Amino acid sequence: MSQLLQQLVLGLLLGGVYVSVALGFSLVWGILNIVNLAHGAFVIIGAYITWVLFSRLGVDPFLSLPVDALVLFALGYGLQRGLINRVIRAPLLFTFLLTFGINLVIVSLLLLIFSPDFRSVTPRYSGSGLSLGSVTIPYIGLARLGIAMLLALVLWFVLNRTRIGAGIQAVGADRDAAQLVGIDLRHVYALTFAIGAAFAGVAGGLIGLQQSITPTAGDPFTLQSFAVVILGGLGRVSATIAGGLLFGLIQVLGLNAPGLGAGYSNAIAFAVLVVVLAFRPQGLLGRLA
Amino acid sequence: MSQLAVRGVSKRFGGVAALTEVTFSVEPGEIFGIIGPNGAGKTTLLNCISGLYDTDAGEIRWEDRSITGLPAHRIARLGIGRTFQIVRPFGSMTVRENAATGALFGQPSGRLQPRQALAYADTVLDLVGLAAKRDYPVRRLTVPDRKRLEVARALAMRPRLLLLDEVMAGLNPVEIEQALDMVRQVNRQGVTMVLIEHVMRVIVGVCTRALVLNFGRPLIEGKPEAVLRDPRVIEAYLGERYARQGGPDASPTQADGEGGGGAGQ
Repeated sequence: MSQLLQQLVLGLLLGGVYVSVALGFSLVWGILNIVNLAHGAFVIIGAYITWVLFSRLGVDPFLSLPVDALVLFALGYGLQRGLINRVIRAPLLFTFLLTFGINLVIVSLLLLIFSPDFRSVTPRYSGSGLSLGSVTIPYIGLARLGIAMLLALVLWFVLNRTRIGAGIQAVGADRDAAQLVGIDLRHVYALTFAIGAAFAGVAGGLIGLQQSITPTAGDPFTLQSFAVVILGGLGRVSATIAGGLLFGLIQVLGLNAPGLGAGYSNAIAFAVLVVVLAFRPQGLLGRLA
Repeated sequence: MSQLAVRGVSKRFGGVAALTEVTFSVEPGEIFGIIGPNGAGKTTLLNCISGLYDTDAGEIRWEDRSITGLPAHRIARLGIGRTFQIVRPFGSMTVRENAATGALFGQPSGRLQPRQALAYADTVLDLVGLAAKRDYPVRRLTVPDRKRLEVARALAMRPRLLLLDEVMAGLNPVEIEQALDMVRQVNRQGVTMVLIEHVMRVIVGVCTRALVLNFGRPLIEGKPEAVLRDPRVIEAYLGERYARQGGPDASPTQADGEGGGGAGQ
């Protein structure tokens, strides 16, 4: 019983990681109709920024998160405005190819700058946790879940309570109609992409606390984000939260499923994904267009 | 000085000439009608004026400055509002939020905060008769109400010119009367209008002048009653044989079945 409880806790915490990583991916996909294959690379850039600040300057990883956000915001804005905007109206395959290429370039640059060595961020509190009876809650996992929820709240607020959020929603709904009420399409595109990248940067900032960082470590995050968005559905912040938490739970429970080896964890997670899609093609909370 | 001047505008799509040297001008306070058979280039013309399309040739002047080639959002902020033939509300928003986007981004005088924009949205929803439904999600609106919302969203930009693309299509005669009242009321507030219509009653009922397009070329321009009686117009709508047989007395309104609403008078 307590073992199950422990797994549920760990599953939710892992889900928090998925939520934080997938929020920006979901925003960019939902509004711009771009499946950003460089999303994982953005996450890893955030991880390296935090690592540099921690290992060179001794900055606490949590304090480096705003820096991650700012740098990735600027990078995202520039990439969208300068590069991706050129193919934004082209078929999905073009943005696929372009972001695939951007991913390769970023990974290669990271290899040049940081070498393929494994890096990790190890402040004093890493590894410690909160003990509640027989259940242990690692502090870092708890903090990452908290930050994921904070990011979700910020995104919801921006989308629903601000001027630029209204612009982003309008562009997501109808590009032409949005222009005709005076919305600067290219600016909103670039801002949306920049916000997505900034969120990836913050999610990445805490990656190094729990796993080692390498230039190629980003690709799984793109895949996971994809799975989370499909599971939860597009077009709602709450859908990404539901998808992320559920995906985390399934993975941890699958890892410890009785009678099956740990190697089946991913297979189980994606099998659940397929089953959900069979019954709810729009995802758990998504909207059908 | 004309408020809007379209001079020699042409637009091609591949090998198809959608517009060929279209020229007309609209005076302040006018309600200017654009009519023509399906495929005559009416919507393309509005798309060129509102900046959704780049023109291939010609110039479009608005309040004595050239707006040729400006991006659509800049043209919108210069005071030119636009509605679509097939309504295009922002589906994730309520009626009120939809109207507020116009006020939030499109007003020429500068930035409004979300709260001010919502307040202004209430004003225009009142004007078009949607005040009671302001908190509805847009998918709950009927077709006539969605058309009203299109107009409200454009009006929230405080435009000095409104381009209306077949706001009457698909409405029944009672709804058309209501929509006509709305058009007149908006016009009385000093908004110049250019409207595309298939419903001839609308053209005759409200327009000061009308331009007929045929295969992307201007055919004739003048008083609506005179334009509709012109043999060239009848021919364009009904074919050459009918024009010869029917002569100038056969009004095209009798047989205008396009666009789902060509009611006779």
